[in-house]
Amino acid sequence: MTKSFPDRLLSLFSWVCALSLISAVSIIIGFLVLKGYKALNLELVFSDVRPLDALLLKRQVFGGLLPAMTGTVFLIVLSMAMALPLGLFSGIFLSEYASSRIKWIFSLTFDILSGIPSIVVGLFGFSITVFLHHYFNGKIFPCLLISAMSLSFLVLPYIIRTTQISLESLPLSLRLTAPALGATKFQNIFLVLLPSSLSGIISGIVLAMGRCAEDTAVIMLTGAVATAGIPKSIFSGFEALPFYIYYMAAEYSHPSELGKAYGAALLLLIICTALFIFSYGIKNTLKTKMLYRP
Amino acid sequence: MKNLWFYYHDRIILEDIHAEIEKNAITAISGPSGQGKSTFLMILNRLWENIDGAKVKGKVEIDFGKGFEDVCHESYPVHQLRRRVGIVFQTPNPLPMSIYKNIAFPLTLMGEKNREKISYTVEAVLKKAFLWDEVKDRLLENAETLSGGQQQRLCIARALVPEPDILLLDEPTSSLDEASVRVIEDLLLELKKTCTIILVSHYSDQIGRIAGHRLVLSERKLRLAPEKAKNM
Repeated sequence: MTKSFPDRLLSLFSWVCALSLISAVSIIIGFLVLKGYKALNLELVFSDVRPLDALLLKRQVFGGLLPAMTGTVFLIVLSMAMALPLGLFSGIFLSEYASSRIKWIFSLTFDILSGIPSIVVGLFGFSITVFLHHYFNGKIFPCLLISAMSLSFLVLPYIIRTTQISLESLPLSLRLTAPALGATKFQNIFLVLLPSSLSGIISGIVLAMGRCAEDTAVIMLTGAVATAGIPKSIFSGFEALPFYIYYMAAEYSHPSELGKAYGAALLLLIICTALFIFSYGIKNTLKTKMLYRP
Repeated sequence: MKNLWFYYHDRIILEDIHAEIEKNAITAISGPSGQGKSTFLMILNRLWENIDGAKVKGKVEIDFGKGFEDVCHESYPVHQLRRRVGIVFQTPNPLPMSIYKNIAFPLTLMGEKNREKISYTVEAVLKKAFLWDEVKDRLLENAETLSGGQQQRLCIARALVPEPDILLLDEPTSSLDEASVRVIEDLLLELKKTCTIILVSHYSDQIGRIAGHRLVLSERKLRLAPEKAKNM
C-alpha cells in the first residue's frame, strides 16, 4: 500500500518519538544499574545484622537500608489507604452524580490541586504539624501520619481524574443496560460501570503509587529523617529511600557511599515494579471474580 | 397512551400521541428513520429518564392485572416498572461478563442468592430463547465472543428473566443474518402467548409475518398521532 507523504511523515515522527522515549528510559535505568549493581547486596540492606534477625525485629539495623525500605513501603500503603477511597468516590461523584456546573467547578479545583508544587504541599504539611504540635501540647511531631496525609493530598487529583474519565468514557449502550433491567443507580455503578472501567482506574492508582514512592520534597518537611530505624508507630519519624538518595547525593564523603545511593535508587525501582505487578495482579483477579465467576 | 409528548433538549420529537396496545399480541411500529420510534419505546419503560435532556409529558397507563396505572407518574416505582416492561435494543448489548452472569444479572439485581434457583432460571430462559444448546458447554465464557445472532438471543433471554408482561424490541433483527432472523421471529411468536410484544421494525415482510397489529410513526400516521420534528 503506497502511503502519501504526510502519512509517512507522521509514521516516521511517531516512531522517532516512541524510540526516543524508550531510549531515555533505558539510558536512565541502564545508568542506574551500571552504577549501582555493585552495591546491591545483602550488606546494603541489612548492614552487619543477620537478615533473619533484622526481619524479625530482633535487632536494629544501622547503616543499612532496611528501615528506609520499610519506611517507603509503609508510606505508600498509608497514603494510598487515605487517598484511594476519597479519590475513587470523588471520581464516581463527578462522573455520575454531579451536574455540569458542579463538575466544572470541581474539575477546576482539582486541576489547581494537581498543579501545586510538591514543596508547597510539604510546607503545608509542616504548617499543620506546627499547629498540631501547639494544639496537642507538644505531643505531635513530624511523623509518618502527617507525611502520608500530605502525600495523599498530592496524589488525589490523579486518582479522581482517572476514575472520572474512565467512567465517563463508557459507551451509552453499556450505561443503559443495567437500568433497563431494573437496576438502581447504585447497582449500576458498582455492578457494571466500575468493573468495566477497572483498567483505567488501576492505571490511575499505579500512577499515584509511583508518585508516593518517589516524592522527596513532601516527606522531607513532614517526617523523613536520616536515621530512625524501622517505624514503630504512625506518630514517629521514619526513613525513606528517596530521602536517603537525596542526602547521600548531597553529602557523601566517599565514592562507596555514592554507590550505596545508586543501590538505593535501584531498590526503589524494584519496590515500585513489585507494587505495579501486584496492582495488575489485583486488577486481573478482581475482573475475573466480578465479571466471569458465577 | 394519552396526550403523550416527548421533548429532547426542548425540541418536540413526539407530539400528542394517543394509542392503545392489545395484550398478548405483537404490535409492530414502523416508519421513516430518525422519527422517534426508539424514543417511543423508551417512554414505555421510562428509560428516557437516564438520558440527558429528555422530557416527557402525558400519561401512559398499563394494566398489570390490578387495573390501569399511570406508569409515567413520578410516584410509580421505576425499577419495578422496568422489571415488568423489558427492552431489547437494536445492537446487542451483552454485559462484559460471562454468559452465565449476563443471564443471572437481573436476578442479582433483585437480590436472589439461591444458586440452584439461579442456574435453574438461566437454563430455563436460555432454552426459551432457543440458545441453550449452543451455549450450554461454555456458560463461563465471555458473552462478547458470541456471534451477533447469539448475542441478540442472549439479550432477549436476559430480558425474559424478570418475567416481564411487556417486551419492547427495537429492530431486534436488523443486524442479523437470515437464519438468526427466522429463529428470533419464531421465538417472538412463541412469546406472545405470555407477553405483550411491541416491535419496531423496518422490514415489511417481517411485519407481515409476525405482527398482529401495525402502527406507523410518521407524518402520515395510521394510528399514532403525527410527531412533529421542529427543525432548528
